[in-house]
Amino acid sequence: MDEKLKELEKQYNEVSIPKELDFVVENALKQGKKKRKKRAPQWLLGSAAAAMLFTAGLNVSPAMAKTLSDIPVVGSVVKVLTWTEYKVAEDSYDADIKVPSIENLDNKDLANALNEKYRSEGKALYDDFIAEVGDLKANGGGHLGVDSGYDVKTDNDQILSIGRYIVNTVGSSSTVMHYDTIDKQNEILITLPMLFKDDHYIKTISENIKEQMREQAAASNQEKVYWLKGAGIPDEEVSDEFTAVKADQQFYISDKGKLVISFDKYEVAPGYMGVVEFEIPTDVLKNDLVSSTYIH
Amino acid sequence: MKTRNAFQHEEVFVQLIREQKERFYLLAYNYTKNEQDALDVVQDSIQKAMLSLDRLENVEYMRSWFYKIVVRTAIDFLRKHKRLQVTDDDTLQYLTPAQEDVYENVDLEHALDELPIMYREVVILHYFEDLKLADVANILNIKLSTAKSRLYKALKLLKIQLQDVKGETAHG
Repeated sequence: MDEKLKELEKQYNEVSIPKELDFVVENALKQGKKKRKKRAPQWLLGSAAAAMLFTAGLNVSPAMAKTLSDIPVVGSVVKVLTWTEYKVAEDSYDADIKVPSIENLDNKDLANALNEKYRSEGKALYDDFIAEVGDLKANGGGHLGVDSGYDVKTDNDQILSIGRYIVNTVGSSSTVMHYDTIDKQNEILITLPMLFKDDHYIKTISENIKEQMREQAAASNQEKVYWLKGAGIPDEEVSDEFTAVKADQQFYISDKGKLVISFDKYEVAPGYMGVVEFEIPTDVLKNDLVSSTYIH
Repeated sequence: MKTRNAFQHEEVFVQLIREQKERFYLLAYNYTKNEQDALDVVQDSIQKAMLSLDRLENVEYMRSWFYKIVVRTAIDFLRKHKRLQVTDDDTLQYLTPAQEDVYENVDLEHALDELPIMYREVVILHYFEDLKLADVANILNIKLSTAKSRLYKALKLLKIQLQDVKGETAHG
């Protein structure tokens, strides 16, 4: 090879490899394996179809839903269902948007408000996607993906927490989470501010999260890092430092009655950390809490 | 049968990634020019690849197949962040340092980075990653003849004598 080329190759290879690479690679392999397993084998497709008919039956036929909710066991199962799903699968454009629906809530206003929100947001997501694909096609094509769905985080006698996620893929992906937490007994939607006496909770929670970030960074040998001084990234490289949670930060209440604060991908940490969550110890919160009904 | 293939592929894939992660990182970095973004590209490429592993027919093509995914992911990334600049030949000519430049070594310092992506990627894949020109063309989704002409142009811009490469490109 030509001397110049050799020199260029040397320069090319001299780029320093960040120590996070191992972690990122192993993590991606692990998640990739998980996702592969999640893809349904053939025999499962049959039961998925059956489940879909079941859902469709519930949605289409009020009689069927009514009958089922009268049977105690099945009735208590019918809570969050996929109401509809938008799917696009072309060569380089993928969309999979699942819209949840809350069933069996006696407070119809709340159920309708939530379901209406889910439906309009799902539709908007789909419309945006189609518009963007149109743009891309007009401009010579590209890759685009959107994957949206929901996770029931907690479902016990008192609390129902649903997390909806939107993963946008355009080369790299971004993930946004939205949580709704419902008090099933009183049938009300729980917001973060209403759990606390005043807005001092913002400071309490933020300080605790900062502590946790620094601890995690130290304990993981800087593999976990956050946009915070002293949390794995050299101080001078921290540009957009985490200062405090938003008053209406995304949260849910875990099955054990703990408050969990959630941050979107990129919000408080580099992209490879993904969506991050912090469970706030109830001890820390007890002075700010209105009561220990939900959080204990 | 298909699933068994996929599982065998998975083992080979994991091994390939572990062994050559630095190479893939360097490639991604060359596009993004930023550590964090390059890590993101590597991560996304691995996950995308694993989801379509069973669509890979021949395990022998895995390496160049994965390069293709990295390149596409990186380019999509740049497009998303609007950092990809398409430059026409006139501008190139204008921006290319004058032919008689006495500070040759200084030139060489950033020569590769100054090369537009479309030329740079051909040089990197062909020379630094040792891929056949036909594979490079496949990875970049261009015709073999286009790959050849881009390589020539790249070498010309880098002021590298062509006779060195004639043997490799004349019948690729």
